[in-house]
Amino acid sequence: MSRVKETPLLPVEDVREAALFFVVGALCFLAALAALSAKSTYGAAKSWTAEVQGELTVSLPAADRRGADDAAKIIRQIDGVRDVRVFSKDEIDALLEPNFGNRGLPDSLPLPQLVAVKADPAAPDMGPTIARKLTEAGIASAVDEHADWAGDVRRVLAIARMTAMIAVALLVSTAVAVIAFATHAALLARRDIVDVLHLAGARDRFIAGLFERRFWVLGLRAGSVGALMALGAAAIMIFTVQAHGGRSGLLPELSLDFFDLVILVITPVIAGFAARLAARITVIRALKGVM
Amino acid sequence: MTHPRHDLFEDVAVRLDSVSLRYDTSEDILSDIDLVLKPGSFSFLTGASGAGKTSLLKLLYLALKPSRGEVSLFGRPTSNLTRDQLSALRRRVGVVFQEFRLLEHLSAYENVALPLRVLGRRESDYRADVEELLAWVGLGQRLHAKPPTLSGGEQQRVAIARAVVTQPDILIADEPTGNVDPEMGTRLMRLFLELNKRRQTTVIIATHDLGLVRQVEAPVYRLTNRLLVQDVEFGGQAARRRTDPGLGG
Repeated sequence: MSRVKETPLLPVEDVREAALFFVVGALCFLAALAALSAKSTYGAAKSWTAEVQGELTVSLPAADRRGADDAAKIIRQIDGVRDVRVFSKDEIDALLEPNFGNRGLPDSLPLPQLVAVKADPAAPDMGPTIARKLTEAGIASAVDEHADWAGDVRRVLAIARMTAMIAVALLVSTAVAVIAFATHAALLARRDIVDVLHLAGARDRFIAGLFERRFWVLGLRAGSVGALMALGAAAIMIFTVQAHGGRSGLLPELSLDFFDLVILVITPVIAGFAARLAARITVIRALKGVM
Repeated sequence: MTHPRHDLFEDVAVRLDSVSLRYDTSEDILSDIDLVLKPGSFSFLTGASGAGKTSLLKLLYLALKPSRGEVSLFGRPTSNLTRDQLSALRRRVGVVFQEFRLLEHLSAYENVALPLRVLGRRESDYRADVEELLAWVGLGQRLHAKPPTLSGGEQQRVAIARAVVTQPDILIADEPTGNVDPEMGTRLMRLFLELNKRRQTTVIIATHDLGLVRQVEAPVYRLTNRLLVQDVEFGGQAARRRTDPGLGG
């Protein structure tokens, strides 16, 4: 007799496993997307807040252009200031364009002069220092530290990130629950096999191992499909955004870097382990009810 | 093949002490059963349909816990054993189920080899033994046949081969010749006797085939009215009394 290839002790359940494969794959797709979103949001918050850290805008309500230049000179002399630039009339028009349209502002409309300041992010109390120096020089001013706004953005993005992480946790929990349910159903459907193995002296971990291996492979395969779909979805999203002018404003940074690929690679591994764990716990608990 | 031997301290293969069994809240199926089977003994268990033969055998192969009393195998009371210890005991017991319980997706060869796979044996190590055993029960040409394609008698022979393939210390058979012709029945009985004589395997066979019982000079236990009684003389003679520990073998 030629060498016999050992048939798996658990028969393949085509229909039921196809349905489970679909569900686990979809959950992995959503979990991978949520994880990518969480990571992307974190990256966006980090890069945006890093950009605005040390940036200030000084508003001079009663000054003309010459007064603005004088103020710029004073500001340049402060320790920690790296760059000072007075906004031109066109730049101020552009800033107000969303409110007043693109025809330009009437000359009669009093507008403050604006001075953009870039300072060392580590320099302490830059805003109050600038305000004090200008007051001492007799120039009325209002200093806006962009980092004040960054704090709000950070808080909002932290909430968004936490929400995405909770979504990942919920999706993983759902996958575990679905697999536990499927394992229980498989156990009931294959009670005959379990009984025979049990009475032949198979230990609980031997029987559990059969189900563990089955669902480990299913989790890996379904997780891989879900991760690939997430990769495809992310790629389409990035392509679409870049084709329409790229990143703008506060949109999260849209790109795929090494850590995004790590997320996609570990998604099927986590799915496999979760499936294996769910199967093991379910089978061991069920067997405890048998002598 | 491995040849497990009875431990020197195991002077009793099976012992039931005041064992009763009931399912759920119904009345007792078995009541106050005492039984001792010594290592190397050969016994029959008879009784009318529904008398509780299969239930008694389930107690012996540790598929059920008694409602009262104690079941001991190889001198070890089973009530306080861990699950792994129970599994270890089950490995020393071969069972021929009345309904065969073959795995339909496995071939005859793989069904017979199943207990060896459970023991972790390599296929290359047991292949020749399994093939020889299947040939012995007349299924040498049906190694790859799946149970649904086998006749009732063939399935029964596969089930018997599976029960004896590990050369167990105890063989429990529930109506093992119910679906085979008399010639094959005699042949299978010879297999059981050979196991019993050569390896000192303790054999207990549940049957209501008196022809089978008369082939062997062996104690006959009879279940009647939830009680176990033993025919004092071999061959089903009339004198009976309640079983007495120590009569086995």
